[in-house]
Amino acid sequence: MTPLLEIKDLHASVGETPILKGINLTINHGEIHAIMGPNGSGKSTMSYVLSGRDGYEVTGGDVLMNGQSILEMEADERARAGMFLAFQYPVELPGVAGMSFLRAAVNARRIEAGEDEIDQLEFVKMVRSKAKDLSINEDMLKRAVNVGFSGGEKKRYEILQMALLEPQLAVLDETDSGLDVDALKIVSDGVNMLRGEQRSMLVITHYQRLLNHIVPDYVHILANGKIRRSGGKELALEVEESGYAGIDDAA
Amino acid sequence: MPESMMQPNLQGLGPVEGVRAAALARWQDRGWPGPKDESWRFTRLSSLAKMELQPAVANGALTPADMPQLNGLPEAAHVIRFHNGVMVSTATDGLPTAIASRQLDDDDLASLMALLPSGHPVTDLSLAAMTSGLCLEVAPGAKVKTPIILVFSGDDSALSTHPAVLLRLGRGAQAVVAEWHKSAVGLAAPVLGVDIGDEARLDYAKIQSEGAATTHLAATGIKMGENAVLDGFQLSVGGRLARLEAHVMLAAEKSDCRLSAIYLGRGNQHHDITTNMIHAKGHCQSNQVIRGVLDDAARGVFQGKVHVAQDAQKTDGQQMSRALLLSRKAEADAKPELEIYADDVICAHGATVGELDETQLFYLTSRGITRALAKSMLISAFLDDAIDMVENTDLADLLRPHVSGWMQSLKGGVDG
Repeated sequence: MTPLLEIKDLHASVGETPILKGINLTINHGEIHAIMGPNGSGKSTMSYVLSGRDGYEVTGGDVLMNGQSILEMEADERARAGMFLAFQYPVELPGVAGMSFLRAAVNARRIEAGEDEIDQLEFVKMVRSKAKDLSINEDMLKRAVNVGFSGGEKKRYEILQMALLEPQLAVLDETDSGLDVDALKIVSDGVNMLRGEQRSMLVITHYQRLLNHIVPDYVHILANGKIRRSGGKELALEVEESGYAGIDDAA
Repeated sequence: MPESMMQPNLQGLGPVEGVRAAALARWQDRGWPGPKDESWRFTRLSSLAKMELQPAVANGALTPADMPQLNGLPEAAHVIRFHNGVMVSTATDGLPTAIASRQLDDDDLASLMALLPSGHPVTDLSLAAMTSGLCLEVAPGAKVKTPIILVFSGDDSALSTHPAVLLRLGRGAQAVVAEWHKSAVGLAAPVLGVDIGDEARLDYAKIQSEGAATTHLAATGIKMGENAVLDGFQLSVGGRLARLEAHVMLAAEKSDCRLSAIYLGRGNQHHDITTNMIHAKGHCQSNQVIRGVLDDAARGVFQGKVHVAQDAQKTDGQQMSRALLLSRKAEADAKPELEIYADDVICAHGATVGELDETQLFYLTSRGITRALAKSMLISAFLDDAIDMVENTDLADLLRPHVSGWMQSLKGGVDG
């Protein structure tokens, strides 16, 4: 079976500065991979390059999703093809009503698939039921997107979007940052509910603690723009004990 | 300016008397403001000199059958039609009984003149060359909920139109009034005077959706009595060059004036929103939320002066203008001015010019939403700040389709 995602010798720069210096990574359907690394190792750049953000220039290599290169695709095309990025810092959209935002996103996917736009009542029902699982209340749904949300609420709202969009590949960028223990549990439970054969995840994190909740199949250590070590979930514990010091030299 | 260069050409104008004669004399003496006139610095009228314009004249009575069809008006509205500057003879038939109408007489013209700054070029020209003059008076205490909609159509590009309207609300009266300008004349220069009595309330909206070659220069003067309320809104979306100029006099205590505006420009359009909010007495509020969106090589101007007189203590004057540029060639100028002579006031003003936020666009597109739709969602949100100010639902329903219509013809993501 064709892997869901193949990253091949990926090089990318921001401005003149090379950040990714030859990433190789294959993710099969249903697998959960964690990328760990110190600050400045290129973790967030990797999430933006995968999701197609402007200003991140790919200077070499390729990224294939289901065997097709996605590098020429715009961010919205990638999303409709099944890519989802849960933002480290979800963006506030003052004046953009949450429900119409969620509906526009769901409909974009449906239109791409040649389906009819979702029925309004059916949609509201679906959002309410998924929101409940994530302890997202009516009031949050009524507000403008991310406006006035606490850090934890923003992260839960990201997972709600993921639940509604049912991506094939979810990239979770530092989803644990800014969360207290309770919020971390809600978010992780939400993510775990979405685990399945049809969904793969790339969990990007600085700290091991998230991986106690979202247990990965594989762990990769990113440092200075390259994956320096790969292993099973026990690699995360090793990093937790000995830190990232010395990892650079391991390559 | 030599008279031969002045447009419209008033040489064929019949004899005028009283207030109109004085206005004509001033107009002939001064003409259009030149480039050195500070309040017209951003909006130049030199292009008018290249036109050949004649003021419209009433040739026999216009009947409703002469009118082009109108769409998009609320069913319950009372519509007063003007065509090529001339009011339909039967237009005021069937007005609610609480509203008296008549042609402007010389006293009315003097009242209208007094609501605007003296010697204003648009007022002088349009009263001198007046094509129709209508006075509407809402009886004291009458609460008229049915919107009165003044529609100004026209199809003759060689014409200049000069309708003048004086609207008076008696003590405690309430009315809902809209102006909709949708002509293809050369120059539309409407003058509107509004006198809102003590305890009275006017809900007011203006839509400027003139044809692409039309120049629209409006002068509006508003006076507010004690405890009077104005919920006003101006939308400038059509025309080649448009200036919507409003002067508001808060002449007694505790009045509340909201006068927000949206301008939407593309191509080579030029929109100018100029307001002059004069707090003459204390304990009044004014609030202006101005939003502009400019595409292509369009230009937008907002000039907003808030003047607080020495004994206008406890004034609350707010004004915020924000412009959004969708293209590198678009340009927005803002000139907010506060002139405060009282010491116990809350006044705030601000003006920003910006572009769509790339981070917000990325967030939306990362959810599969196309860039074009993402842009339009953000622009709508930006404009809602202003249009949400409109309290009257009939007026909001009248305004919104013009905004969404403009959005629908936005080019999707051409400028990246």
